[in-house]
Amino acid sequence: MRLVDISIGYNGAPVLDHIDLEIARGTFVGVIGPNGSGKSTLLKAIVGILPVSRGRIEFPEGKPRFGYVPQRDTLDPLYPLTVKEVVLMGAYGPSSFIRKPQRDRAMEALVQVRAEGLASRRFAELSGGERQRVLIARALASNPECLVLDEPVSGIDQPTTQVIMDLAQALNMTEGLTVVMVNHHILSLRGRAQEIIWIVDGRAVCGPASALLTREKIEEMLMRGP
Amino acid sequence: MFDSEFLLRHALYASLTIGLVCPLVGVYLVLRRLVFLGIAIPQISAAGIAFAYLLHTLGVHFYPHEAEEQLMALTGSILFSVLAILALASLDLKGRGWMEGRIGATYAGAAAASILFVAANPFGESTLLSLLRGDVLGISTSQFWTTIAVYAVIALLTLLLQKEFTFVSFDRDMALSLGKNVAAWDLCLYLMIGLAIAFGVMTVGPLLIFGFLIIPPLAARPITKGMVPFSLVASAIGGVTALVGFYLSLRWDVPLGPTDVAVSCVILAVISAAKASKRWIRNANS
Repeated sequence: MRLVDISIGYNGAPVLDHIDLEIARGTFVGVIGPNGSGKSTLLKAIVGILPVSRGRIEFPEGKPRFGYVPQRDTLDPLYPLTVKEVVLMGAYGPSSFIRKPQRDRAMEALVQVRAEGLASRRFAELSGGERQRVLIARALASNPECLVLDEPVSGIDQPTTQVIMDLAQALNMTEGLTVVMVNHHILSLRGRAQEIIWIVDGRAVCGPASALLTREKIEEMLMRGP
Repeated sequence: MFDSEFLLRHALYASLTIGLVCPLVGVYLVLRRLVFLGIAIPQISAAGIAFAYLLHTLGVHFYPHEAEEQLMALTGSILFSVLAILALASLDLKGRGWMEGRIGATYAGAAAASILFVAANPFGESTLLSLLRGDVLGISTSQFWTTIAVYAVIALLTLLLQKEFTFVSFDRDMALSLGKNVAAWDLCLYLMIGLAIAFGVMTVGPLLIFGFLIIPPLAARPITKGMVPFSLVASAIGGVTALVGFYLSLRWDVPLGPTDVAVSCVILAVISAAKASKRWIRNANS
């Protein structure tokens, strides 16, 4: 997909301005930057939740099916939903009537993230890592070509972070899914992400992870911005 | 009470229907953390009824004479509540301002307007006050069948569209990313809530409607897992409340609305106490 000179914002005030990006099919892209820099805003524009106020998003090979994994803290724990109900949401088509193949796919997705044992538990009572895996399963239930994850390892312990990052990498490498992931843990992207989008002050720098995630470059970016 | 010759059978079945159906839409007010809409909208509906009566007294007529008072009151109730819920909900969805503050101001304004409309009405003050309090015992046959029909449609649609309503309420962004028309589903849900309130206030009054919308879902939430069990248990609690409240009201000769609300509060307190005891025992054992 290609983002051509886009601006995105809320109530007329741009958060990101004049962004030009290209994301190739099948790549693992890490999106990094300080809090409030517009990383989540960029993801929302990519999946079509937020309209761009300027420029355009092009899909030369056709618009891919997106599997969106939101920040888990945005989901209200008041809902008494079971894990199974949450995962089946990913299988909803134009109506919420779910046919057997879609239902089976949703259950397969739970197995894929090793959360099949959680199916009958209340979603709100799971740990942060378990909830994250369930949200990834929900995104996979929609048979996505592009998985878009918003801070999936924020507030999660190191071993679980490793599990979730390994899962995202496996989905990218074995199933060929394009993965676009906002992540504060720069080090956990090393060796997994092929491309990096670094967002600071409403602008973006893109490049191969091997060039942007070096110690010198990280220090330089943190000191001066892109 | 269930005898076919029972004089108040229409009142009983109307209460039971409202008790069963209001919690089905009330679950979304609770889950969306819009509980205070449940008190503000019935009050606005009451203001609509009072305004319609005032217009009628002042000689403004829209309907054939024989059914005019009731129809005008119903029109006022529906117009005021549906317009208010749509306006408040759309402002909330746009994220503008402070929702609780707006609801509080709306409630105060609607309560004041109801009293002023009644005070300005030179005739029928006692009839009007009884209507605003909710007098299900005096329900007419036509009003009874209208209530049954409207609530049956609301119950059916709420259960059929439960997945859509839950999805757009729980994760709006995900629903948008899958191409759902979130605004249309929201509109549909709020229309259903508005209609349930408008017809209910005409029949049982604003206090009981608020009670039926909010208390059964609050009681059902801690003891259920999954949206369908949650909705059905909330509905069952509403139904039990309506039956027990009706019986106690007849037996002790006390007003029905406050009795129903008191019964539902007792059910909520018992469930909360049972949950707390269970938690305490589990913690003590571990």
